[in-house]
Amino acid sequence: MLKACFRLLGNPKGYFVILVFVGLLAVLLFTRNPFYLNILFMILLYAGLSGAWNIIGGFAGQLSLGHSAFFGIGAYTSGLLFVKCGVPPILGIFAGMATASLLAAVIGIPCFRLKGPFFSLATIAIAEVLQILAVYFKKITEGSEGLSIPFQPSFYNLIFESRNHYALAGFFFLLLVLGLSYWIQNSRLGYQLAALRDEDQAAETLGVNTFRAKMTALWISGALTAAGATLFSQYILFLEPHSEFSINVSVNLALISMIGGLGTCIGPLIGSFLLIPLQEFLRTWIGGKYQGLHFIIYGGLLIAVVMFMPKGVIAFFSRKYDSFLLRLPSFFQNREALPPPPREAINPGLSPFPKPGDIPPEKARTPILEVKNLSKNFGGLRAISNLSFSVHEGEILGIIGPNGAGKTTLFNILSGVYQPDKGIVKFQGLGVSHLNKSHILCRSGVGRTYQLVKPFENMTVLDNVMVGAFCRQSGRKKARDKALEILQFAGMAQKRGMLANEITLADKKRLEVARVLATQPRLLLLDEVMAGLTPVEVQETGEFIRKIRDSGKTIILIEHVMQAITSLSDRVLVLSQGEKITEGRAEEVVRDERVIKAYLGESHDPA
Amino acid sequence: MILIQILVNGLLLGGIYALLSIGLTLIFGVVRVINFAHGEFLMISMYIAYFFYAFFGWNPYWSLIINFPLMFLLGMATDQLLIRPLRNAPSYMQVFATVGLSILLINLALFIFSGDYRAIDLPFAKKVIQLWGIYLNYPRLIIFSSSIGITLLIYLFLQNTDIGKQIRAIAQNRTAARLMGLKLNRIYMITFGIGSGLVGIAGGLITPVYYVYPTVGVYFVLTAFVVVVLGGMGNMMGAFLGGLIIGIVDSVSGYYIDPSLKETVYYVIFVLVLIFRPSGLLGQVGAEEMGMK
Repeated sequence: MLKACFRLLGNPKGYFVILVFVGLLAVLLFTRNPFYLNILFMILLYAGLSGAWNIIGGFAGQLSLGHSAFFGIGAYTSGLLFVKCGVPPILGIFAGMATASLLAAVIGIPCFRLKGPFFSLATIAIAEVLQILAVYFKKITEGSEGLSIPFQPSFYNLIFESRNHYALAGFFFLLLVLGLSYWIQNSRLGYQLAALRDEDQAAETLGVNTFRAKMTALWISGALTAAGATLFSQYILFLEPHSEFSINVSVNLALISMIGGLGTCIGPLIGSFLLIPLQEFLRTWIGGKYQGLHFIIYGGLLIAVVMFMPKGVIAFFSRKYDSFLLRLPSFFQNREALPPPPREAINPGLSPFPKPGDIPPEKARTPILEVKNLSKNFGGLRAISNLSFSVHEGEILGIIGPNGAGKTTLFNILSGVYQPDKGIVKFQGLGVSHLNKSHILCRSGVGRTYQLVKPFENMTVLDNVMVGAFCRQSGRKKARDKALEILQFAGMAQKRGMLANEITLADKKRLEVARVLATQPRLLLLDEVMAGLTPVEVQETGEFIRKIRDSGKTIILIEHVMQAITSLSDRVLVLSQGEKITEGRAEEVVRDERVIKAYLGESHDPA
Repeated sequence: MILIQILVNGLLLGGIYALLSIGLTLIFGVVRVINFAHGEFLMISMYIAYFFYAFFGWNPYWSLIINFPLMFLLGMATDQLLIRPLRNAPSYMQVFATVGLSILLINLALFIFSGDYRAIDLPFAKKVIQLWGIYLNYPRLIIFSSSIGITLLIYLFLQNTDIGKQIRAIAQNRTAARLMGLKLNRIYMITFGIGSGLVGIAGGLITPVYYVYPTVGVYFVLTAFVVVVLGGMGNMMGAFLGGLIIGIVDSVSGYYIDPSLKETVYYVIFVLVLIFRPSGLLGQVGAEEMGMK
């Protein structure tokens, strides 16, 4: 522990950050000029508030344009409790966080089940409603006249005579938000949020409960915003519906993160340091004379950032910052800073998968998956009708059929994307067909890949696989080890640091499989993992699939590459227009009259 | 009798909401962008109508001749300059961009025209027709009948013209439309133009009855969002129907609950729609997330 502390302190990455914060602390403690202290407090507070916004808006990619709802409700809860009931804000701050959490549930529960712009619209709407209600219930909130908070300096009231103390409070709030952000980013939740931000559906099939992840993020974000709002209202000592619930607050929080760097921990802090002084400057020097001018600049800035530097200022500085850190001296580093690459480090004997011989023969005869009388219609189209088959443990079942035969629909039902209209799916003896939740099916041991690959493009290859690994591991270290092991198994260990949108199609397809393998499925549904590959790549993929089977997995394979399917599959199932035409050994099936007919049409008559 | 009068008032009001929402939903359905600056386009066209009245004494309805083409061009420019570079960016980037445009335009208006409320004082705006004991405000009747007329025109345009058919094809399936050789960018631009042009018409029509001020668009566009979701995102007939419904809700809740709480009522409806029927009144069930990423 002590050693780890020393290593952190000795590392430029560690001590530089600590130095910056200590410097900041010194500045805010020893500055005496009230004007600068005011700006400093606002910078720290808005950095914290925007950091809170960033948890849902950046990490989860759910664009809230109504965070003033959380801000206003937090400020009003603690303010009213203080003014009307005499509850000290140091307790009121928690009451505000509680009401904000409740509000998060009201917004999140209907919206997070839907994709699209609903969440953004709902947050705006809720902020508007709260503003109207705060004006309307004059008896409680004092309405548009505003609620004055009496100036009673005390630590318990979070009201201070010295602005240094306010700045200190802002500093601790910022530290709390930064700490939480950092923790989230490096935890399972952070990986899940990054994954669902890129590809919601793919995250879900890798065992991510996307609804719960988004909800948790909104809860944390809303509660932190409310806490910051209490600090702010105890500073301003005045609450007014049109400013607390104003859309300008919401846009400001979003803009700060956006300018600094959306979805990064430190971005909101950088954004705040740039934007708040500018804002104070515009307000003091220009705002009085020319109405609206400073928001014109704001609007223009927002557009410019989106168009010309969507990754924020941090993208410009991060490389320079890294090279600057490299030039700083290191201390106490008696070990190599980076872990050695796991080239040949993993002993193949330690493979977690049981070898084929480990499966007892009688178990191999029990079906791991049973499908009975399955039907699914889309409107008038019968995608699957009355389909029954079963798959045995350790088997490779190939599914072929012309386009539109219902193959991918079948996978979508088996992996819980769709619910069947009729029929039963039993996985390991348990009925799973009506779960309709991909992440539950993934956790129970069904893994699938998509025909059109869905990598998490803004994450590295390793992080992609780690999202899958987090399905069974909760610790970051364990998930990382698992992911490295899988990448080694898949022969992609060298590419682990590359971004998923930089690799070739063949690698993307392999990554798709590796990611699912990391969820440790017992049954693997592979949807056209060879389509679009060169003959050599097809061969390699075939070997890879065989290797996966030999490690103890059961596989269902949809494929058009006939040669691959015949050489890989133990059995082949032929679908046409949603119905099973035949099933059996590959060599027999391809010679079947009905199969040829399904592929080539009626006119093909050998006679 | 009073109830019938309230319902009629609501229906007439709903005509305005319908006109605004049709443009918004058309743009969303085809270009897949929620234009947060939609309300500001309304604001601009109201200012145009106002100033033509104030300086030249033009009847605000005449300003439609300028408003429609001008807003059409502004819409196309927005699409080409603001949305086109972001076509492949995550959807929240497009939202940011249009929010930025909205803030910019509101405050530009505030800067140039100040926050004063301006109104056109025309005698005919106060004219009322009495029909079977029901009072019908003359300009509102014009708004209502023109919104029906324009909805029909747009419907016929989408059904019968080449461009209309291309627009519908893209709304249904972008990929297939591209494979058929449609020039997506051109259609996006035209759609954005049409949707914005409709707002130009709306602005000219409502100027005799509403005050003109920089944030007038915010008030209308928030209502339009509710209407669009209620009708089913991207569904034009849904938006028309939703507009009339919200108009009636507005008028009924204003009378029976409290005028200052009427927005609250339709935001409650908004949340209820999201919970129970996110595809909206006329949208296809399960299609609420169609094409959204």
